[in-house]
Amino acid sequence: MAISKDILNVLESIVGPRYISADPVICESYRSGPGGYENGTGYERVMTTIPGCVIMPRTTEEVQKIVKVCYRNNVPYVPYSTGFYGPRSHPHVEDALLIDMKRMNDFSIDDKHFFIDVQSGVIYSPIQQECLEHGAYVVIGGGGAQASAIANLLGDGWSPLSHRIGMPHRRILGTEVVLPDGELLKTGSLATGDDPFWGECPGPDLRGILRGYTGVRGCLGIVTRMAIKTLPFQPEPLVPKGITPNTALALPEKRVKWINYVVPNKEAQEKAMFEIAKAEVGGAVTKVPLFWRAIAKAEDKEHFWEMWNKENEQTVHNFFIVRVLLIGFTSEEQMEYDERVLGDIMKELGGEARATKPSDESWIKNADSAGMWIMCGDYMSVDYVSESLSQAVKHGSTYAQLKKKYTPPLMPDYGDPGWFQSFECGHQGYSEFLVYWDHDDDTNKVDQFYLDSSKMNIEHGYYTALIGPHQPMYLTGPKYGPNYHIYMLKIKDEFDPKWMSHPPVPLAHDVFVERAPWMHNMKDWESPDDLPK
Amino acid sequence: MAKKLKVRYYRPKADVALDINDIQNFVYDMSRCIKCKGCMWVDHTYMPGATTGFLTKCPSANMYEYDAYNGAGKMRIAHAMAEGVLDWNEKALEIVYACTLCGACDTGCKRNLDLEVELTLEAMRVKAVKDGVGPMPAHKKVVENILKKNNCFGAPHKSRNEWLPKGITPAKKADVVYYVGCNAAYVNKEIAQSTVKIFKAAGTEFMLLPDEKCCGNIVFSVGMIDEATAIAKKNVAEMRKTGAKTLITACAEGYRMWKVDYPKLLNISTEELGFKVLHITEYADEMIKSGKLKMKKDFDSRVVYHDACSLSRLSEPWTPWKGKRGWMGCVEPRLKRRRGTNGVYAQPRDILKAIPGVNLVELPRTRENAYCCGAGRGAREAFPEFAEFNANHRLDEIKAVGAETLVTACPMCKSNFSKAVKENGDDVQVMDITEVICASIKG
Amino acid sequence: MDVKAKLSKVVGSKNVSDDPAQLTAYSSDFSYMPSGMPNFIVKPADSEEVSGVIKFCSENSIPVVPVSSKVHFYGATIPKQGGVILDLSRMDKIFEIDVDNRRVRFEAGVTWEKMTKELAKKGFRAIMPLTPPAERSVLTDFLEREEPTNQVYDYGEPLQGMEIVWPTGEIFRIGSASANGYPNSMSKGTNPMGPGLDFFRFFQCAQGTMGVVTWTNLKIETIPRMDKVLFAPLEDLDYGINFLYRILPRRIGQEVLLLNNTDLAAIVADKDNWDEDFERLQATLPPWTLILVVSGLVLRPEEKIAYEENFLKHVIDHEFPNLQLGENLPGFPGLRKKMFSVLRNPWPADIPFWKNNVRGACQSLFFHTRPELASSFTATVEEIAAQYGYPIAEIGMYMQPIEHNRAMRAEFNFFYDPSDPEETAMINALYVELAKKLLADGAVFTRPYGDLAPIVYEKAAGYAAALKRLKKVFDPNNIMNPGNLCF
Repeated sequence: MAISKDILNVLESIVGPRYISADPVICESYRSGPGGYENGTGYERVMTTIPGCVIMPRTTEEVQKIVKVCYRNNVPYVPYSTGFYGPRSHPHVEDALLIDMKRMNDFSIDDKHFFIDVQSGVIYSPIQQECLEHGAYVVIGGGGAQASAIANLLGDGWSPLSHRIGMPHRRILGTEVVLPDGELLKTGSLATGDDPFWGECPGPDLRGILRGYTGVRGCLGIVTRMAIKTLPFQPEPLVPKGITPNTALALPEKRVKWINYVVPNKEAQEKAMFEIAKAEVGGAVTKVPLFWRAIAKAEDKEHFWEMWNKENEQTVHNFFIVRVLLIGFTSEEQMEYDERVLGDIMKELGGEARATKPSDESWIKNADSAGMWIMCGDYMSVDYVSESLSQAVKHGSTYAQLKKKYTPPLMPDYGDPGWFQSFECGHQGYSEFLVYWDHDDDTNKVDQFYLDSSKMNIEHGYYTALIGPHQPMYLTGPKYGPNYHIYMLKIKDEFDPKWMSHPPVPLAHDVFVERAPWMHNMKDWESPDDLPK
Repeated sequence: MAKKLKVRYYRPKADVALDINDIQNFVYDMSRCIKCKGCMWVDHTYMPGATTGFLTKCPSANMYEYDAYNGAGKMRIAHAMAEGVLDWNEKALEIVYACTLCGACDTGCKRNLDLEVELTLEAMRVKAVKDGVGPMPAHKKVVENILKKNNCFGAPHKSRNEWLPKGITPAKKADVVYYVGCNAAYVNKEIAQSTVKIFKAAGTEFMLLPDEKCCGNIVFSVGMIDEATAIAKKNVAEMRKTGAKTLITACAEGYRMWKVDYPKLLNISTEELGFKVLHITEYADEMIKSGKLKMKKDFDSRVVYHDACSLSRLSEPWTPWKGKRGWMGCVEPRLKRRRGTNGVYAQPRDILKAIPGVNLVELPRTRENAYCCGAGRGAREAFPEFAEFNANHRLDEIKAVGAETLVTACPMCKSNFSKAVKENGDDVQVMDITEVICASIKG
Repeated sequence: MDVKAKLSKVVGSKNVSDDPAQLTAYSSDFSYMPSGMPNFIVKPADSEEVSGVIKFCSENSIPVVPVSSKVHFYGATIPKQGGVILDLSRMDKIFEIDVDNRRVRFEAGVTWEKMTKELAKKGFRAIMPLTPPAERSVLTDFLEREEPTNQVYDYGEPLQGMEIVWPTGEIFRIGSASANGYPNSMSKGTNPMGPGLDFFRFFQCAQGTMGVVTWTNLKIETIPRMDKVLFAPLEDLDYGINFLYRILPRRIGQEVLLLNNTDLAAIVADKDNWDEDFERLQATLPPWTLILVVSGLVLRPEEKIAYEENFLKHVIDHEFPNLQLGENLPGFPGLRKKMFSVLRNPWPADIPFWKNNVRGACQSLFFHTRPELASSFTATVEEIAAQYGYPIAEIGMYMQPIEHNRAMRAEFNFFYDPSDPEETAMINALYVELAKKLLADGAVFTRPYGDLAPIVYEKAAGYAAALKRLKKVFDPNNIMNPGNLCF
């Protein structure tokens, strides 16, 4: 049912006429796809639609008022910071109100106490620039420098820099959350005062409802403000250089340096990561899939395929690089120490340092995810796992086997076991599988592969990030916890009994499986009759 | 319950061409926009700090704020229209025309991908005209002026050369044609006068077109492609008739028309024009470096240079292309895309650095990330508040670096900034680069 | 209904007691909180038994008070409404020490003594708070967010995947321990996040009110190959804190902390001659001592120490010329060895806990703050203590820098004679007034034990309201340790 004129008038009185629109052309621009992250899939086509109205608040108070109006009047709403995340962050029901938070771009930095205080519309690259000017840095998540820092901290928030900096949920300090019924929750030190510097809450920590493994897409509340930890960096400037499309940061060579080590085989590659982690050196340690190198070198899509078509299973499997970022946090002497330690490790393993550009094209400031789409036009991370380094190095081969079944339509990657790296100095490890396809081809198989990977993870006991709202909760729920879905849905029912906040998340993928005929024969689990249709 | 959407697939292996006459040529591009908003954000590598307020490079998105106004939004709207599932309305016209086609979106997107954003936006304007809804009423007035009186202002055509200063007479025939353009001829005459003084100082003989007419920038930019093609044909023919080897202009938009859009309209390459097209800065830079122009006099000032869009990221030569798009969207034959890499960025800066006393500082948003002044390609005519808003926004940046002099390379930029400076009472002098050069070569 | 019989069916009759003498032992702890008697003590052997007990109690609205060790300071394990003490001390297994992933998995009843010994055998250590009592539960200390003295790890928060029992009795695994078939799965339990939501956060500082954590995974670190303990005497706390602002962001050191003369004296006084030695030390130690341990790790340890020391020397020479940082605290030979042992080992069970040694008991007031505010909070504490007649010179103070000195945990220790009811009452009143004043001035209390709880939750009323909604979801019958926090 379209949002009534009366309600629109009330909403307009909150933000002013300039910042609310139900114009069909404006609303069309907020469509999720057909391109973008996880777009070009059946999920996107079946589950998303354009909003019935778009509103752009400026403050937490305005968001609260908007949510209260929606809640009272049964208007479903969806919070939106940049819209980059794809279909799961776009309206799933007709006539929803899309709350576009791009005007919420307040920012402040406390360089002495290493945190920033931001609203939802602030993205990473200007944050990183401020941090670098103040002796600090942040992790820019794999989603890229164009992601909202708050949204990314709630949903993903890791990169090769997580080798040292660690998991994102610990970087969340004082936070303001507008709960689904419009009540305001302040966490951390904001619960008892105005200074957001501290993240832990009085007693049990309600940051627990903010994200989980990879977020809940705003279905349990809208975070409007968050103080986020920054980490101390080193004092020399990183200078932008070059002209599009080849821009990069020139690194101060005695304080920041990438080194690519070529090692003889997979075992050495894995052992290198364990050893580097144990030695507690380096700012980032990662293995790079071969096709990332091709993307970096390619002048255009055709050039990429010209290079990639020359590769095969052998070349892919014989490509063993360990890429390390050294940061001289303490001094030049410390960085030299780190490099000598790396040298010791590599000597043991037969690794050799290759000439590496003294610049950063990605990860420190640009975190260039947009290039991921150049090959095929569509991309998503169909599985990622933040667990142990032991799991990370094994997950790949199991996964690559399953992927062969679905190639094509997936891009031929010759069994590349993906990206894996050390997190938290080896206390955790990370593996991620990126899949690519052209949505002119059979996207049904892409949807099926996505679900099949969930079953693979269950069978092998891998702790995939893609549970929660990413996959059918009634499939994964009984297998993790067990029954995490029951507790999660209880919390949802308690805080949003009307299911007005981004319906039908977190059950959106369950609904997708019901609606999409090509998914029906994959359904071999029970779900309740009263699942939202 | 969500409506089932019509399946929207690009038809594989279709013929495709970089031809803005048909929006269907860009359906692949529109359908592959990933909403990263690289069209809007300054290149992340160069991104200034969050406290600066200078984070975006799209004047439309900056002013109107809804996603509809940035490249990603426009691509989605255009896609829906191309598919026939969305109709024109007043808002759609504003979205399409409150835009300077500055190319920041195109360059930003092409940093990572191969999508033709600028051409899509041009094709949308052509579609607006073909669908009978465009251009804007204010544009129609300007176009009428051009078609009837050969200039944007509706001024008498015979007064076009009255700007010529005493003591300078163009040759009857020369290797160099100075193309003045409507703005320099009628409004910013100081630019034309400075330009010819530069020619004189460097000892370059120049001629004017026997009957110079408007380049048709507005006609083309608002989507009136048939009329623009007719203008292109006539102007190119006239230029070829002179036998001159080089056309030099001091107007960035005129430069872009001659170098890029005339070939586009005539379906030839820039090279096939048969003459070189240079901006005065390219020419002057060469003259300085070869010693023919000497920068003698001091110009003591803290100076910023504003990159004009048409001179910088939109200025790479044009090559027509058609072919097929196949597996994974790959095109054949191979196509070298225009990404704004080889725009005229260095020459104006080298000129300014060669002038004694100039303290040249860079703006946070510079080169391919430069923030458009807000005036060009019909925007100012139809949306004067948009031009004002964006000039003021850019001036905030200029004032933030403590600039005393703002140097531009396009009369549209100059007049838009000058107006804003005057209205604000800002303590910034706005000069065209030709004026700055002249100030240094005198004496 | 014969409750004892029902409980015996779950854990065996040997492991259920209602003997008054035994019940009394659980009715009080080291805090001044009033005593409260339980009705039963139950000692389960494993998670299944824990589940059975809780399920029964939930169905019959019987309060459950989880207790994991013998050592309690905050009154959290004193039953407020009777019920069953769920004593987890039998659950003291260390399941595995995973050398590759530097992780240990262990039950709630594992003590610091056991943990430290077993890890050391494999060359590992757990990051410790200051002087954890040997018989205290390691899991509980991490769950209750005792601040470690080692702050060099950017990733912080050592807890990983765990197993819990909900207040309705279901066994549930959190984080990557929730994977199908764990521990016989590809997952090692290293990730605490999810599944679905960050359930593990609900158990932090929950004082057992959200359920029982039966076992957990924990990050462990390699024991450094070389260590140097450095000391700097300080007259001025701010001078030391400014020095920490300068050096800690440069990732210097392992353990780092500031202790005033009273606390340091109580910690290092000779156990065989405690009273005299304490008095002497208290009188002669500098007002504050900065303790900083620099260490060499797995590879090239001496080089790591060298670059850190070079950096420290450079900073001190150019910016902090009055700081005397050295391997000895002048006038206190033997302190280095003693302090190092204190920092890397739990407090031995056979030595009275230092906080209780001064006057018999201690009420600790601790909170988080920006480091630059530590001395102004100290001034407030001293001012109000003086109003209550508490000698300023007797207050123990401990400042723990946190993560690059972004924050600080300030702790003030008030020693008192617990057998003196007047003194106890005075301490109680002093504590409450201090808490209110400091809270109003911006101190952040995240561990609202006892009297602190109503004070904090009144200020955090919005937060408390949300917390109660969460509690309702998981513990609809309010059986888990009722009367604590805001429940």
